[in-house]
Amino acid sequence: MSRHGAGGRTLAGRAAIQLMMTIVAALTLLPVLEVVNLSLKTKKELYVGDPLALPQRPMWENYATAFARLKIGTTFFNTFFYTAASVAAIAILASAAAWAIARNKSRFFRFSYIYFMIGILIPFQALFLPIYTIGFTLRLTNTRYGIILMYIAVGLSFCVFLMTSFMTQVPVELEEAARMDGCSIYRVFASVVLPLLKPALATLVILQSFNTWNDYLMASLFVSETRLKTMTVFLQQLFSTTSQDYTSAMAAIVILFAPIMTLFVALQKYFIKGITAGAVKG
Amino acid sequence: MHRSSLQLRSRLEFASLELPGLLIFTVGVILPIGLDFAYSLTSWDGYQKGWPWVGLANYAKIFRDSQTLAAWWFTIRFTVLNTVVQNVLALALALVFNGEIKGKTAYRTIMFLPCLIAPLVAGYIWLRMYSDVLPALNALLGTRINFMLFGSGRTVLAGLLIVNQWQWAGYWMLIYLAGLQSIPIELYEAARVDGASRVRQFFSVTVPMLAPAFTICIVGITIGSLRVYDLMVSSTGGGPGRSSTSIVYHIFNTAIAGRQYGYGSAISMSLIAVLLLIAVAQLGLLRRREVQL
Repeated sequence: MSRHGAGGRTLAGRAAIQLMMTIVAALTLLPVLEVVNLSLKTKKELYVGDPLALPQRPMWENYATAFARLKIGTTFFNTFFYTAASVAAIAILASAAAWAIARNKSRFFRFSYIYFMIGILIPFQALFLPIYTIGFTLRLTNTRYGIILMYIAVGLSFCVFLMTSFMTQVPVELEEAARMDGCSIYRVFASVVLPLLKPALATLVILQSFNTWNDYLMASLFVSETRLKTMTVFLQQLFSTTSQDYTSAMAAIVILFAPIMTLFVALQKYFIKGITAGAVKG
Repeated sequence: MHRSSLQLRSRLEFASLELPGLLIFTVGVILPIGLDFAYSLTSWDGYQKGWPWVGLANYAKIFRDSQTLAAWWFTIRFTVLNTVVQNVLALALALVFNGEIKGKTAYRTIMFLPCLIAPLVAGYIWLRMYSDVLPALNALLGTRINFMLFGSGRTVLAGLLIVNQWQWAGYWMLIYLAGLQSIPIELYEAARVDGASRVRQFFSVTVPMLAPAFTICIVGITIGSLRVYDLMVSSTGGGPGRSSTSIVYHIFNTAIAGRQYGYGSAISMSLIAVLLLIAVAQLGLLRRREVQL
């Protein structure tokens, strides 16, 4: 199906592109494979050995060390809990807002959509100073609900945009039928709209999860107590304080990456759908 | 009468559905914009009781402070280069994947795997790549490329740009790919009948039809580049010297480490102004192109 295939007319041209892409893919994969490789080496192999060589014997002990150093019980729970709670809340709030916006043409709803879009144009990295002081004043810093609330606030804009673009998938007829039967708007939302939005919600979940899971700035600002810290913050400490233990730090990277990688593989098609929302005409 | 009151009721109910989200968003994003502006007019250090009013002095200081100007200069170069290079790369990759190539799915998955890695982690990984792994590749291939890109102020920008392409080109590629796949094949057939060359087809069919994808990618990459921070925390620490201190990094240094909350807020207001100006300008230009189709 070559529509305007990039130089793919001749056999030689096609072979050249295939070769080029293989090299590009190999170079893209190299850093990822290298992290796994280094995470399984001994310190001696790390310092004197060839970085491209495989370890003599995989040092699974590095992972045990990394689990301990990351205080994995605490930090994994925190990262997981903040991500899961904020993403679940965003999923409901963003679909409610997007549905209201899509079904009403009055000024208030049109304005509120633009209002939400401000958050896409101004990312929270430009606002972290006042976000921190507001959190501090409202006693939200160093609390679980505080950081979750802030993740919701800064994640809403993109998700409202995403859900609004998916709203065409919900047939108005079903809603109207439910309204005729005397259901309240809330009832229609919970029992008709939300179930129809399932594929869109899967998209939202994966896109928002990997953002929150990988966040460093918000987590480093909002919680300073060890029992509330996330994996990325601990990882940063691991690298800045124990440069001697580089191999377990590499194992820690693998530990941080593995869950999100698993989620991605499971929900790959929704991930791609979400990224490409709004990119196609029509 | 009865009808319109029913309508009003339904509207109020819809509004109440939207309210919790609006409220949280206002507290967490809109209020901070106002507060940031308020801080920017003071010399507050982040700890003291009152907010000493200084008017616009902090804004005047931005233009005299060589460190702030340097941070802006770095951020602008990073943003312009990153936006151009990443769009070109993403589009080129998308064109390849839209053509005839074996093992598409596998390549595509590999290409956007890096965007799932935390930017903080990407920095750590590439620190190692440049210092150790790529030089070993040099030895293997018998080449003598200098990979110590984070080591000098002259090459650090290139080094960070490479990391950013590695991490995000595959992500934006997917958007262009979706755009390409939505172009009706009849358009190309019609162009061919009219005797359009491949280059001509690309510029007269592909580029205009990709307008929505261009809008999203250009605006998205620009905003993403202007807010870059995590990557430098782990890879260069803003150095060598201050040669890779992005504006967000500089705000952090100024306000948190340097205890100049007021001045830091003024700098972040300058970032907000730039973000809005660029986004509005880009959206205005790009959307107009979309409408013309």
